[in-house]
Amino acid sequence: MTSLTERYLEVALRGIPDRERADLEGELRSSIADAVEDRVASGEDREAAERTVLEGLGNPGRLAAEYGGGPFFLIGPELYPVWKQVLLRLVSIVVPVVLVIQVAAQLYGGNDYAGALIEGIGAAVMVGVQLAFWVTLVFAFLERADLAREAREEIASATGRWTVAMLPEPAPDRMSAGETVGEVLTTLITIGGLLFLRDLGSVTDAGGDPIPFFSPALTDVWFPALIGVLVVLAILQVAVYVVGRWTMALATGNALLQVAFAVPIVVLALTGTLVNPAFAAEIGWPELAEGDGLVMLAVAAGVTLVSGWEIVDAFRRARRAQQRIPLSGAAPSAH
Amino acid sequence: MIDEELLGAHRQELRRGTVVLACLLALRAPEYGYALLKRLESVGIPSDANTIYPLLRRLEERGLLASEWNTTESRPRKFYRTNAAGSELAAQLMTDMTELTSSLRALNGGRIE
Repeated sequence: MTSLTERYLEVALRGIPDRERADLEGELRSSIADAVEDRVASGEDREAAERTVLEGLGNPGRLAAEYGGGPFFLIGPELYPVWKQVLLRLVSIVVPVVLVIQVAAQLYGGNDYAGALIEGIGAAVMVGVQLAFWVTLVFAFLERADLAREAREEIASATGRWTVAMLPEPAPDRMSAGETVGEVLTTLITIGGLLFLRDLGSVTDAGGDPIPFFSPALTDVWFPALIGVLVVLAILQVAVYVVGRWTMALATGNALLQVAFAVPIVVLALTGTLVNPAFAAEIGWPELAEGDGLVMLAVAAGVTLVSGWEIVDAFRRARRAQQRIPLSGAAPSAH
Repeated sequence: MIDEELLGAHRQELRRGTVVLACLLALRAPEYGYALLKRLESVGIPSDANTIYPLLRRLEERGLLASEWNTTESRPRKFYRTNAAGSELAAQLMTDMTELTSSLRALNGGRIE
């Protein structure tokens, strides 16, 4: 079987659940082969026959949607399986993590087991709902962007029909789901960590009131913005998976988000307004909060290094993917 | 003279509803996807591959067709067969179709043409 059919199948089977995949792949493969053989037997050139058969089957994305079934409203047939997969994966990982962190934080803060569990479940449900909302929103946007792209493609091709020239080039460095989950998880754990430290209630002052870990400058002013930046970053990482690779536009968005996160943290750390001085004093380690103290210098350096690396890495991968994928201007030579 | 495009669109519309019935009737004898496509074409019901193949799987999901892989030939193929429920539905739809045809004939003053 030649690569054209392989490339077609890859797109057509994308997002088909694993349990159906092998069966459907076998069936499509034999159906395509039957049709090609039939044409070859009547004297047609094999390559031309294959092209005709695949173009007869039409846009593989649409075919996949036909096989997938299901109600497609906000999110169209091509993105629906990906949306489902991403959402399920995120929820199944993030919700338990949040549950564990929240329960641990509550126990650490002196809550009893039942109370901690109730708080934990509440937080997990909240996060689940938030995830569902944001992921759906992003895919709804991607869907619209996708429709616009499709419309442009149809205008570009004189016939308005799908042709094999529109098949995506095989990309060996395609973003894998595991990689994406890793990146998104890192971002979400960062969010969880920030929330955990903010709500740390174990250190109390003389009156018994908890002393917050972060300084008011961070909690009151920057906190919502930083969390927002991280949420958008996680969404962008999912978008990279959906697109299949880093593009220059995505890498630029990543750079902006990384800067938007790192700069406030570094400035707050170096000016001694990241950690609450009262907190540092209470635990008997006042140097912890000081801007020229070792810890804050390390935080500033660490955040700068990690964000800098993320920015460079994304651009590097975007450039590599660009070189790997030639501009698809090559029209089919014969019909 | 009727516009070709208009005629094509209405023909497609008219046939769309009968494709399920055609498949259920044809598959009383087991057949694989491409052969069914050829069979339908040969009796004057040309259909698109990207309509028929997903339809077969949907009909199977709904419990109207049974399927079986045949691996004895050079190329493994998935054969579909209309089961009892499918046959029952086909019989009902066939009755409806016949009634529909005679209703249309009555409207047309008893003429077929």
